[in-house]
Amino acid sequence: MAKVFEPTIKAMEFINIGKRVPKLDAWDKVQGKTMYIHDVKLPRMLHGKILWSKYPHARIVSIDTSKAEQLPGVRAVITGYNTPEIRCGFIKDNPVLKKDKVRQYRDEVAAVAADTLEIAEKAVKLIDVAYEELPAVFDPEEAMQEGAPLIHEDKGSNVLKLPWKMICGDVEEGRKQADYIVEETFRLPFVTHCCLGTSGCVAQFDAKGNLTVYSPTQIRFLAHKDFQEAMKALGLKDKTVKVIQTAIGGGFGSKLDTYPFEFITIMLAYYSGRAVKLVYTREEEFFASPGRQPVRAKISQGCTREGKLTFRDIEMILDNGAYTSWGATTPSVMMMPISSLYQVPNIRYVAKCVHTNNIYSTAMRGYGNPQATFAIESQIDTLAEKAGFDPWQFRMINRNRPGEVTPQKFEITSCGMKECLEAVKEKLQWDEKRGKSNGRGVGIASLIHVGGGARIYKSDGCGTILKLDDFGKASLLSSASDMGQGSDTILAMIVAEELGLNVEDVTVIMKDTDLEIWDAGAHASRSTFVAGNSALYAARKAKEEILEFAATMLKEPKENLYLRDRKVFSCNNPEATMDIDKLLRAAHFRTNGRQIVVSEFYDPPTVMLDREMKGNFSAAYTYGVHGVEVEVDQETGQIKILKYIIAMDVGRALNPMAVEGQLEGGGAMGLGYSLMEELHLEKGKLLNGNFLDYKILTFPDMPNIDSVIVETIDEKGPFGAKGIGEPPLVGSAPAIANAVWDAVGVRIRSLPITPEKIVAALEEKQRSNS
Amino acid sequence: MRRFTYHEPDSLTGAIALLEENGAKAKLLAGGTDLIIEIKQEAKTPDHLVSLRSVPGLQDMEYSNRELSFGAMVTHRMIEKSELIREKFSLLSDAVDNLGSVQVRNVATIGGNLCSAAPSADTAAPVMALQATLVVKGPAGERRIPIEDFFKGPGKTALEPAEILCCISIPALPEGAASCYIKHARRKAMDLPLLGIAVIIVPDDNIVCREARIALTLAGPIPFRATKAEAFVTGKPLSRQIWEQAGEIAVSESNPRTSFRTTAEYRKKMICALIPRAAEVALQRINRAWMKG
Amino acid sequence: MDERVMAMKISFNLNGEDVSINIDDHITLLEMLRDSFELYGAKEGCGYGECGSCTVIVDDMAINSCLMLAVSVNGRTVVTVEGLAGPRGELDPLQQAFVDRGAVQCGFCTPGMIMSAKALLKEKSNPGEEEIRKGMAGNLCRCTGYSKIVEAIKCASEGGCSCGKGF
Repeated sequence: MAKVFEPTIKAMEFINIGKRVPKLDAWDKVQGKTMYIHDVKLPRMLHGKILWSKYPHARIVSIDTSKAEQLPGVRAVITGYNTPEIRCGFIKDNPVLKKDKVRQYRDEVAAVAADTLEIAEKAVKLIDVAYEELPAVFDPEEAMQEGAPLIHEDKGSNVLKLPWKMICGDVEEGRKQADYIVEETFRLPFVTHCCLGTSGCVAQFDAKGNLTVYSPTQIRFLAHKDFQEAMKALGLKDKTVKVIQTAIGGGFGSKLDTYPFEFITIMLAYYSGRAVKLVYTREEEFFASPGRQPVRAKISQGCTREGKLTFRDIEMILDNGAYTSWGATTPSVMMMPISSLYQVPNIRYVAKCVHTNNIYSTAMRGYGNPQATFAIESQIDTLAEKAGFDPWQFRMINRNRPGEVTPQKFEITSCGMKECLEAVKEKLQWDEKRGKSNGRGVGIASLIHVGGGARIYKSDGCGTILKLDDFGKASLLSSASDMGQGSDTILAMIVAEELGLNVEDVTVIMKDTDLEIWDAGAHASRSTFVAGNSALYAARKAKEEILEFAATMLKEPKENLYLRDRKVFSCNNPEATMDIDKLLRAAHFRTNGRQIVVSEFYDPPTVMLDREMKGNFSAAYTYGVHGVEVEVDQETGQIKILKYIIAMDVGRALNPMAVEGQLEGGGAMGLGYSLMEELHLEKGKLLNGNFLDYKILTFPDMPNIDSVIVETIDEKGPFGAKGIGEPPLVGSAPAIANAVWDAVGVRIRSLPITPEKIVAALEEKQRSNS
Repeated sequence: MRRFTYHEPDSLTGAIALLEENGAKAKLLAGGTDLIIEIKQEAKTPDHLVSLRSVPGLQDMEYSNRELSFGAMVTHRMIEKSELIREKFSLLSDAVDNLGSVQVRNVATIGGNLCSAAPSADTAAPVMALQATLVVKGPAGERRIPIEDFFKGPGKTALEPAEILCCISIPALPEGAASCYIKHARRKAMDLPLLGIAVIIVPDDNIVCREARIALTLAGPIPFRATKAEAFVTGKPLSRQIWEQAGEIAVSESNPRTSFRTTAEYRKKMICALIPRAAEVALQRINRAWMKG
Repeated sequence: MDERVMAMKISFNLNGEDVSINIDDHITLLEMLRDSFELYGAKEGCGYGECGSCTVIVDDMAINSCLMLAVSVNGRTVVTVEGLAGPRGELDPLQQAFVDRGAVQCGFCTPGMIMSAKALLKEKSNPGEEEIRKGMAGNLCRCTGYSKIVEAIKCASEGGCSCGKGF
């Protein structure tokens, strides 16, 4: 259970902040009343279905849709040949309906809208597509070879032209300074989000040609922009777009981009003149939703006799798949742990993203960080051991400290790495359990992540509109997105705290691009920090107005007034008090009166990475340490997790129950990544697209996670908080790999750490010993 | 899902008649946890489903005259909850305990599990080791099929067209017998076995193995008894070393496959590792341990 | 198979009320609940009985409604998540425990979780942690890591909770 450390700054007495407040929408969710995209039903709504490519790489010779068109109940049949071209992805290399050729098994070749899903399913089967198969390539290293089949002929190469290179200091000098050097190669698999709610959307045009899209997106304003651009292609550039966000049945990065199916649904709605709903089946969700990028990482690090790291040198190859979505930008985030996890003066990092005929990749919780941290933190143990240090001690020597500026020019404000390391050491009984080599072992891994937004776009802002009604209730129109993590609740708590209201007095609205200001989306663990500050500053503006008016009403100086328990009080005069609702009515119902409505656009004080990929792109950084104790069955290779501790420096836990929810849920996803999850592709075709064969952990597989909340009260965070959505999964894999090493003396350098790999490694070890 | 006509006959004769009438276009529906998925995937495309839900007697379970007999529509959950089975046929309880989920076990039937003849069927190895006899009824009347003659290949059984498995009957184990089934899987629940191992041991005053039965699933295309390994341990001391050798012999009788789920090599290693382990657990259940040395 | 309508009339008890409906043979219980009765609580997470999001209770047993044919509930009793709360929306203690203990995040799995837990508690009023985990194994959750769900079920069980975490 959570242990809250003494904050370094003494907290004032909070009413809501720091309390275990249940999620605001939980009441509806437990009754099945919440509307997900699956539950949206509009009058005369049609159902859409996509025809997927049957080859990983083939020329489209012809598409015959005539039989499908003749099927009664079919209202629209579209292909790349009878629709204007719309492309998606940040370098626009993904035509939403494929023309001329397909580049992966899951390519969208045609789509149908029909009265019922049954008819739509039948209709896509009636579409005849003639293909001419092309040679394909599935291995990124092969795809880099001269003469390899080109996935995009117009690009001239399968290697993406992206600037993934970062040099800090002088790595060669760092090598010279090193007394010990380790070099290894790590491999990370293709995995996927597995949101319980599959992807989907509903599109509808009104009589004037304006578009409404219902979508469980994590980025309703960026989606709005993408859809607005698509309107141009449809000849509707003067029309408006509105994105209505439905409840999100899990996000984890999967809904951070717009995808062909959304534009296809829009076109089906446009050509049929009816609302169209398109929702993926689970099978489609597995093969058609992009996942986390597979990585091969060659890494070397060195240290001095004193145990100080002197350099870190990493080369990576990422399988980008056939098209480009956010997966191709994950190296920009990998740079963060590479440059700034521990104090390392000399760093070199080069990454290549390579097109193959595999399924493409997108953002996924952690955004590259889990891959990079697996390589770094596994090797830290090896290096420590080689240099004769206890791995925990080695980490303490090299740990990050508050106030430092890292080689990538990150300005570290608060940093609880030491406290996290100490907490995990104690809870894990590190000194007693380490180094027994008896089939049981302990392992740790540290992590860093952005905790104060991330300036990926020129604006990292988030808007808030706050309205106070005549009854002392607040409507908070936030541009943030709640995917279940509890942003709704956190924002209500912040506003309630600032305005002296109860959490129930605050209605949080985050759903409609027409109503709200702009936001960059739910990514980079930024909602608590960025949307939180936005809500906080909006509440402060409202408070100013309230107190100003109260000062005239109560005839007390404004400075003496404060809000609490739905009342305004004066510090000096116990008699001078007034109920908030009464005050608000008095402010409204008078000559020149008004309701209090304020808006705020908060953009954190950060910069974009410069040409050298350096700069303080987040306003705060989150640190954490994972610690595990494992038992390895040396006959079967099975791993039993005996203990799992996650210590996170969260700045301040605004809602400890929600923080634990992130730690426990992130830990579960991290354990799945470590032990079981892998999409198996055979020549580009997914073999295990179901929950039986793609194994996320079940109840009995999942240990209880001991969450340790470390509070460092960040100077810039709302009430001192930092973001913690992603980091809880980052440290799992290296901590387990390190514990396995401690238990049985084998080093597993690829994920997942399967029993097969452990058995094989144990045999190999036995062979080399004898 | 593709359309079909649903039939719910109230007698076995009625069900047989429907199967005869519709031939290959008809499929028998028990719990449906396999068949409905196959229809959704269009791996099977029946025009008629004949449900056994209203056929009387198929959910009966009885133990008398040292014989356990249960109807084909007995669900895994009923077996899981049966104290009698847990006491007298513990390997069968082992097999159903971790099969699918509660939701699946509540509807999936033992008859369905056997007749689907999936190479990964959890009940197959225990039922083989238990030397069950399957009572089937068809247009030509009733016949009894020994379990070892039942599985003919992945998804294939000895059932003739329009024949229905009605009852599974299992003779009681010899006095003092011990048993265990190990499902070796990646997850603790909601998983298919990578290997299933059923072991029955009849010890002779704790020193010698009087009788042994070893049945394996996923060690070959169909479940089988490792008869050479059984012969090897019979009459020998119940020691870990002997059973480790039995594991190696069983490997030589096996022919597992490699798939994305695991490799043939790993399955073979697990046959070696888990046969002695299953035997050890079985012995522990009767408060016995390996003979030393 | 031709397109002729093969609707069959079935009668059953749904959330305490006797209902009758003509339903096509190939329609699953989940489809019928959502499309014919507009009960959207049960969700299709996979359609193959592998995630538990569609769990409802039929004759006191938790089942995957995506794998059960609607026609086969003829004469039986079906309870969905909508059948738990009281007439004015008072939450069932189990639902309240899910709210209070932070067992809900994205919420897509929640109705199925609650129905599985309901059946589990009906069968065993005071299950231990291991029994809860085993009994709930058919319900996947990608958000919570399960601990808070286990805690909520414990809190709603006869023995109550010992977590000591006040609201």
